[in-house]
Amino acid sequence: MSRSLSFECLRYAAILVALAITLVPILWMVSMAFKPVAEWQATGSDLTWIPKDPTLDNFRYIFGESSSNLIVALERTAVKPILSSLLSATLGTLIAMSAGTAAAYGLSRYGTGANLPLALLQLRLFPPMAVMIPVMVMWSWLGLMDSWYGLALIYGIVTLPFAFWLMKVFFDDMPREIEEAAQVEGCSRWRVFTRVTLPMMRAPLASAALFVFILNWSDYLIALLLTTREWVTIPVYMASLSSSMTGQLYGAKAALGLIAAVPPVLLGIMIQRHLVRGLTFGALRQ
Amino acid sequence: MSAIRLENLVKRYGSFTALRTMDLLIEDGEFMALLGPSGCGKSTTMNMIAGMERPSEGRILFGDRDMTGVPMGRRGVGFVFQNFAIFTHMTVRQNLSYGLRMAKLPQAETERRTLAIAEFLRLTPFLDRRADGLSVNILQRVAIGRSAVMEPAIFLLDEPLSNVDAAFRAVMRAELKQLQRQFRQTMVYVTHDQLEAMTMADRIAVMDHGVLQQVGRPIEVYNDPVNIFVATFIGAPGMNLLKGRPVQTDRGLAVDLGPLGISPPLGSAQACALRAASGEVIYGFRPEQASLAPPGEGIPGSVTFEERIGARSIVHLGEGSTAFRAVFEKDVPLAMGDVAHVLPHPDAVRLFDASTGRVLKG
Repeated sequence: MSRSLSFECLRYAAILVALAITLVPILWMVSMAFKPVAEWQATGSDLTWIPKDPTLDNFRYIFGESSSNLIVALERTAVKPILSSLLSATLGTLIAMSAGTAAAYGLSRYGTGANLPLALLQLRLFPPMAVMIPVMVMWSWLGLMDSWYGLALIYGIVTLPFAFWLMKVFFDDMPREIEEAAQVEGCSRWRVFTRVTLPMMRAPLASAALFVFILNWSDYLIALLLTTREWVTIPVYMASLSSSMTGQLYGAKAALGLIAAVPPVLLGIMIQRHLVRGLTFGALRQ
Repeated sequence: MSAIRLENLVKRYGSFTALRTMDLLIEDGEFMALLGPSGCGKSTTMNMIAGMERPSEGRILFGDRDMTGVPMGRRGVGFVFQNFAIFTHMTVRQNLSYGLRMAKLPQAETERRTLAIAEFLRLTPFLDRRADGLSVNILQRVAIGRSAVMEPAIFLLDEPLSNVDAAFRAVMRAELKQLQRQFRQTMVYVTHDQLEAMTMADRIAVMDHGVLQQVGRPIEVYNDPVNIFVATFIGAPGMNLLKGRPVQTDRGLAVDLGPLGISPPLGSAQACALRAASGEVIYGFRPEQASLAPPGEGIPGSVTFEERIGARSIVHLGEGSTAFRAVFEKDVPLAMGDVAHVLPHPDAVRLFDASTGRVLKG
């Protein structure tokens, strides 16, 4: 049955509006990243979607090469912040996923009552602001300030409830009989978990890990408070891209933003097949 | 060696008793069906035999060995689940050989046995397919194969055919029976489908509300139910049960069925049973063990509904407490509203105590 023409028109109009709202800012960032100083400082009719004089100057600039148009020298390049973000977000995701998965499995299979899972979840209810200053004190006492591993640790802790809750829902949905079948065949509990349960959970694990990674990757507040110089992350570094002479370095920020978008997008594409399955995991044959 | 003996088995969940003192001996090489409605305790019994659940009281013995505290991996039983429990991330071959690989058998042996069971269950074309894309019918074969390949002395099946389609169910009934004949395992088969139990089992254990009601060969359970639960649960439709009182007629002892009049005179065995009874009795006969009779001879009832299944027809007669059914293998000249007189075969009549529901024996 085909729907009426006017309905189809409305449908596409709605899709177009939604796309515009999400894509225009991103496309604008892409465009800005390739514009020379004169163009991203332009106003009014001088503004164009396509750079008139496309350049890689912005990228060269944040990686420390001098640029003909930007005379302001950078205190430090984007290399270390990118490394810092990659290291802390990845290790933080590993911590959250391994601890969260283990906790979720244990509580899903052996746990009783609803309070313990909820208690873990309530970690998430604290506004990060409320706990960050005490955390700062603790971290400085432990010598974890301004280090990628200190940052990774707090990322792991903060996103743990998220990983835990996602995985718990997935484990609860997985038919227990599959594990019992393996046990009847003489498989130990640990082997059941590593050889049967986890491989069957690949899709949910991948999607949960991606969500956790994105959370860690886009953090600003925690990194702002726990890093000072050496290991600032991309968002913190991005905020510092300005100078008294030129004001906000929008072109450089756009270039950095473009780089920052790469890892999540790549990861997303890599696990795309799993992502759809992971989100529809409940559809397992019961 | 692999007889299963359940001794005083009890299972409680908190204050709820799922299974009350069950005693059952399943002989070596026997095909035993645990039959009953949902929630009767049959799956609980099965899970305790497999070791997935621990009994609250009682013992489970395989042969002479007490297995009560032995974990499920070391009981050496095969288990087929209702929802197949296939490892979807593996191929059919990997699923079938899983237990053999767990047991660390030599590779050649693993390969040989995997291929043999695949051949037996006609799974050879699917060996290298991943399990998550296969149809329900094939998945259930894989599940059966995965357990059978281990050649367990005890094979437990928990409603294995309830998720597959009707045509395939008929095929599998024959194949399972053949499998058991070939390997001579002790098989315990949980089902709520009496057709499966009747066609495959050597003996049937009928359960209800956590209580074992009757154990016997299918024909025994069908012909001589011990109580009105078994009488109505076995048979499709179940046994007709009509309330009445003993009465002496000039043609012998009979049952006064109230509004339905006096029953046909009882045979000698039932008459003898009736003499032992006191008070109200229940007069029972199988719908398929009756024939039409001229007025004055059978039990009268007006036709309220007729179900035709091919040549077979199930005629519903009477209403409320005096309703009963009759099954005829050939076309009968009856229409809605007609009054039919149904005469139970004298040998087919069974009498039950109205207060306890137990069968009356002479």
